[in-house]
Amino acid sequence: MRRRAVSFLIVVAALSGALWLGGLALAVQDQFFATAKPPTKEQRPSTAETRQHDEKMDIVALGDSLTRGTGDESGKGYVGYMVDELRRQTDKPIRVTNLAIRGLRSDGLLRQLGQPEIQRQVAMADLIVMTIGGNDLFQGGEALKLDRKQLNEAKRRYVANLDRIFAALRRFNSEAVIFAIGLYNPFGDLDDAKWTSAVVRDWNFASAEVAARYPNIVAVPTFDLFALHVNDYLYSDHFHPNAAGYKRIGERVASLITLTEEGEQ
Amino acid sequence: MSKLVYNEMLKIVRKKRLWVIAAIIAVLVALFTYAQYRETEELRKRLGTTDWRTQLQQQIVDLQNRLQSPSMSEEWRKYLQIRLKQQQYYLEHNINPSAPGAPTFMRTFIENAIDLFLPLLVMVVAADLVSSEASAGTIKLLLVRPVKRWKILLSKYIALLLSVSLIMLMAAVLSYAISGLVFGYGGFRLPLLTGFVQQGEDLNTANVHMIPQWKYILIELGLAAFVSVVVGTLTFMFSVLLRSTAAVMGIMLAALISGAILSNMVSSWHSAKYLFMVNLRLTDYIKGAAPPIEGMTLGFSMAVLAVWGLAGLLVAFFVFMQRDVY
Repeated sequence: MRRRAVSFLIVVAALSGALWLGGLALAVQDQFFATAKPPTKEQRPSTAETRQHDEKMDIVALGDSLTRGTGDESGKGYVGYMVDELRRQTDKPIRVTNLAIRGLRSDGLLRQLGQPEIQRQVAMADLIVMTIGGNDLFQGGEALKLDRKQLNEAKRRYVANLDRIFAALRRFNSEAVIFAIGLYNPFGDLDDAKWTSAVVRDWNFASAEVAARYPNIVAVPTFDLFALHVNDYLYSDHFHPNAAGYKRIGERVASLITLTEEGEQ
Repeated sequence: MSKLVYNEMLKIVRKKRLWVIAAIIAVLVALFTYAQYRETEELRKRLGTTDWRTQLQQQIVDLQNRLQSPSMSEEWRKYLQIRLKQQQYYLEHNINPSAPGAPTFMRTFIENAIDLFLPLLVMVVAADLVSSEASAGTIKLLLVRPVKRWKILLSKYIALLLSVSLIMLMAAVLSYAISGLVFGYGGFRLPLLTGFVQQGEDLNTANVHMIPQWKYILIELGLAAFVSVVVGTLTFMFSVLLRSTAAVMGIMLAALISGAILSNMVSSWHSAKYLFMVNLRLTDYIKGAAPPIEGMTLGFSMAVLAVWGLAGLLVAFFVFMQRDVY
């Protein structure tokens, strides 16, 4: 009996050994002598797969560190607080896709929107929230470094990009409400607050003007939220909001959503 | 000769090591299966979706965010960039690299087991092949028989090769059978990309091609068997050199673990790439992950391992033939 078992084991081992040798040969053949046949792109995911009118609420968040939630210890960001607020009001399942990337500028967002998968996500959304432009204006987040001439140049480019961003979003998704959240002045307690505030106001005005060219794009101000006691709402980097700051933004956006949803129906 | 090999196999079977190894594999695979299951559940709960494209997109965005953080070592940044490009490639070509299923589990299991777990199991068999006979004194009984010494050692080595083959078979079959209970048994024909070549910061995709998963797994098993044989050979050499099985185990364990640690910190020590233990992760080349030291390729690592293995074999035979046994 034992003799048989051992002989059997030897045969099995030898056979599987041949298999591993084959695998090794295959590895050599495939990795060293393979002719490159890049996969064809034929099976594209259908971008036509647009928003389903189901019970679920799909929210897509786009933009920079503000949307990502940088500075909020809990990592929620205004998107998280906004969803918390919405969940309190509705039983609908809410799905959030946060596609924001820290440090993103308007040109970067435009490039991101060129990716087919991003387009598909946008197309499926019932609601889009976004922040962009903060990095175009405050380069690096240290302080407002630009002089008047550079500022005008930066604004010109930003407005052109924003226009193309909105046009792209509307092209992929003609129905979803888009909330474009504006900038606040993180330097409101510094000596040159007067000037920086003027610049931010001007910047926000330009953004709102662009948004007004498109249907269902709402420019949401945050300037006022941070106008008083700005340091209470800023993270230790004196640039990004802290949890309390994000909460205020989130609640403001959430309050808009109920209103517009009701207005639609 | 075949009698000798049979005899040696009988000894290995008698020691019941193979059963222990099978049990270890079964327990660990069950553990990993459960962990993997929890992970996918968690991901689904977090994203509220099972749409893999959304998940992959989310991973890409997460990577892009991590790349933005200023305090990051150069190597890590490079590694993340490569991962990012790969994932974008998958997304653009509509390929789900982690489609659930037993074959996918098997593939990741081999990838993670190749540098430590499988060699460890091989060591369990190889470490006392000669040393135990030396310490127990039974080696004399072997050597007084009218058989050439090299034949005796060769029969032991062949028995070791057969055991390695069995261990690989157990790992493959058990990981497939157990994980399939949870993830299902399908998915062998899932297309996967391979042939990514890393050139500095860039990922050269000129040679990228698609192969079905079964082929991918077979390639990985072949490479894992190769690694196991080399580690087994080196263990075998130490088993000839030393009388104490514990010492053999200790040395090999130290080497394997130092390999895992070194891989993370040798990027600027270039000659470290000639050590066998930093070359064990052969499957990383198939996957297109960044090697620990720039300039390492699949061919290079296989050559280094082959040289170490041959050298170990030569030393083992030379010492065994020359040694006085009393």
